[in-house]
Amino acid sequence: MPEFETDSNLVQEYKYGFVTDIESDTIPKGLNEEVVAIISAKKKEPVWMLEWRLKAFRRWKKMKSPTWAYIDCPEIDFQDIHYYSAPKEPVNLADMDPELLKTFERLGIPMGEKDAMSGVAMDVVFDSVSVGTTHKEMLEELGIIFCSISEAIQEHPDLVKQYLGTVVPPGDNFYAALNSAVFTDGSFCYIPKGVTCPVELSTYFRINAADTGQFERTLIICDDNATCSYLEGCTAPARDTNQLHAAVVEIVALENSEVKYSTVQNWYAGDENGIGGIYNFVTKRGHCRGRRSKISWTQVEVGAAITWKYPSCVLEGDGSVGEFYSVAFTNNHMQADTGTKMIHVGKNTSSTIISKGISAGQSSNNYRGLVKVVEGATNARNHSICDSLLIGRDCSANTFPYIESEDDSAHLAHEATTSTISEDQLFYLKSRGLSEEDAASMVVKGFCKDVFKKLPLEFSVEAIKLLEIKLEGSIG
Amino acid sequence: MPTLNLPLTETPSLLGGFDETLLEHSRKGEHALLQAKRTAAYESYASIPNPDRFHEEYRRQDPELFKISTFSPLDIPESTSYVAAPEDEKYDLIISVSPKGIAINDKNKVCADGKLVVMTLDQAAREHTTVLEQSLGAAMVPEEQRKFLDLNGAFWNVGFFIYAKKGLELANGILIRYHNDKADSILLPRLVVAAESLARFAIAEQFTSPNGVRTLCISGRELLLDAAADVKLVSLQDWGDEGIHIGEDWARVKRDAKVNLFSMTVGGKVSKMTVGCDVCEPNANAYLGGMFFADRNQHFDQKTLQYHSSPDTYSNMLYKGAVKDKGYSVYQGIIRALKNCVGVDSYQTNNNLVLDPTARADSIPGLIIDADELACSHGATFGNIDQEQLYYLRTRGISEAEARRMLVMGFFDEVIERIPFENMQDHLHDVITRKFGV
Repeated sequence: MPEFETDSNLVQEYKYGFVTDIESDTIPKGLNEEVVAIISAKKKEPVWMLEWRLKAFRRWKKMKSPTWAYIDCPEIDFQDIHYYSAPKEPVNLADMDPELLKTFERLGIPMGEKDAMSGVAMDVVFDSVSVGTTHKEMLEELGIIFCSISEAIQEHPDLVKQYLGTVVPPGDNFYAALNSAVFTDGSFCYIPKGVTCPVELSTYFRINAADTGQFERTLIICDDNATCSYLEGCTAPARDTNQLHAAVVEIVALENSEVKYSTVQNWYAGDENGIGGIYNFVTKRGHCRGRRSKISWTQVEVGAAITWKYPSCVLEGDGSVGEFYSVAFTNNHMQADTGTKMIHVGKNTSSTIISKGISAGQSSNNYRGLVKVVEGATNARNHSICDSLLIGRDCSANTFPYIESEDDSAHLAHEATTSTISEDQLFYLKSRGLSEEDAASMVVKGFCKDVFKKLPLEFSVEAIKLLEIKLEGSIG
Repeated sequence: MPTLNLPLTETPSLLGGFDETLLEHSRKGEHALLQAKRTAAYESYASIPNPDRFHEEYRRQDPELFKISTFSPLDIPESTSYVAAPEDEKYDLIISVSPKGIAINDKNKVCADGKLVVMTLDQAAREHTTVLEQSLGAAMVPEEQRKFLDLNGAFWNVGFFIYAKKGLELANGILIRYHNDKADSILLPRLVVAAESLARFAIAEQFTSPNGVRTLCISGRELLLDAAADVKLVSLQDWGDEGIHIGEDWARVKRDAKVNLFSMTVGGKVSKMTVGCDVCEPNANAYLGGMFFADRNQHFDQKTLQYHSSPDTYSNMLYKGAVKDKGYSVYQGIIRALKNCVGVDSYQTNNNLVLDPTARADSIPGLIIDADELACSHGATFGNIDQEQLYYLRTRGISEAEARRMLVMGFFDEVIERIPFENMQDHLHDVITRKFGV
């Protein structure tokens, strides 16, 4: 019988754990109305935005941190966080701080226009600000707005006013309220009617400064008959203190539109003893507002010390479709409580959930999901598959699906399995000359295949590599 | 014995009346063992906060729905003359409980050779003190705080001890019949089953009351199975339309033993059933079967726990539910595999039929797994009757109502046919027919 023990000495060093030494403009620690006002002022926001933030802040003060997730999270001192940090020199793509440029090179992000990847338009958020967006002109020609949310608040206030907070209201939950009060940057995408976005829109989030929280806010609007694909990547330096990342992502899909949202989340996960790492408390929700609209979430979660994240779809438009594909890998002392919500409101709506959890080391990996069919949502269809793979004796994998059916025409099916890599599979592969580690890695990749094939091609290749690196040392 | 009226506080709280005064009343004149057990249960009961609708388990069934403080506990006389019922033919031994009293009828003299002991807890406390001391309250699963189970432990007003010695086998089984026709009364039955190794028997429990009579039942049952024992327990909750039922069934299953727990919920207005089993030694096996069919305004809540505290243990669960009219059913289940419990094989299935747009069914299966090298799965489905099947039956000249009834019957038969008592299977088929008004 093979023993799958995690050898902590072999755990791959976190490649993105370096710190960039640049001068930052950081406001003092603490959180009060003044801090909210400072953030708003730094962003040169109009008064209505400040009022919106303050309202959210007052709401947040009355709320309590949620405790229902199956995670063991130390209490967070919200006064001990810098809520704003930005590179001091104003940055633009033409003359970017060479130190910063070097950072992006090390991260593998092409920022200079000349060597920009042709297929991807990139927005980069460094701590609290967006430092540059590529491919702007080409997108502008098509009428696509792709910029940082701060820029959008100033330049497209009507669109922002119309959609911001309509999918995730400021008082939705504790971390959404906090985010609404102090969000610093994030992306804004608007795809006008009938436009198919020719490139992948992508945002890269990087936390650099110590003791800061990153509060990103992303808003994607796909107008009638429009299509877009959006990618998100995240990394942070390796530090021995925990940092908070509380993001809100809102997607609005109007009639006949299609949005595909992919994430590769590789925040620093802490060391093998569970010291340090990012707390990733994220609210992501899509709203299929129009008929026959479609929102598809694909996520590969391999980082963060604690993840608390449920990308959801509200299927309001008749015939709308929601999809959720997820691979969540936890190792060492990582904890993940992640899943999705599919809320069927319109008629003839359908949703698919495929969630694959892999736990190794002493980690805990939970799937928590809701499928709800409200009364009158006739002919709703859902199929959910939640599989967990356990590697090692000390990890745990839990599944908590919630299914609520209020309509007699709904067809819902949920399946979940929890198992380890079977001896038969390993034996077969080993008899073909593969080492045990390669064999196990192959089984794991096969286990995740349903999800990886949903990612855009470049990301898919990267995600497989990433998983391989993460698996190294966990098996064999 | 005079009926005790609960001293209701001015603003009745959820569990108004279940206090030390009532505890003293329950303990009065009892054997020291039972008194001690009641006190221990009461201490635990008092330490658990009252459930409220913000608690995850009660989010879908507000405990206020039980209206507990509007009822008062029954005082059941020790014995009464036995009233026969037609189904008695099918059993070896019949216990009947009603507000008039308790009667144990050992029809086939199965207790005569001393291998089987069936008696009230009071008598058992005197005659089988040691075994009862080890059994009463012993099947509870740790980690879980069960308010209503402890409430039953402290305040039970009718209790039985079934003790099967090594190798006992019963041909027909035991029937426990509860009938409550006293309005606004609470029945708190306690059942303790201890099966020594290789004992093999089945128990059926049946709860009935007349329609229109408000009754409340908070039942607590525990089963302890020693090596290679095989016990089947079927509980048929068929209260009248004003019945409220709270049930807690817990089993602990040792090496090579096998337990079958059936929980059939069809009657009453509000019902909350919790069934849990701890398969605690290698090769222990548990099967949990459940049926719930809520129509009119019935609100049924089922909770299961498959607790694997040992490696190489097995459990299988199948709960089938249907909701009709404004019926609402909730299923919540957990498979729990503790650390190092490898070789566990466990399955959990919940199938639901939602028959009307106004009905609602929720399902929350769950897996909490802290070991590898095991296989734990669950599946849950929702749907209405298959239109093609309906069409097929219609083409054979069967009316739509009849065809629907047949299909629902077929749906439930997967559970019903595993019940070891034929008369109970027939009863359940009748209930399904009744619910369809055919």
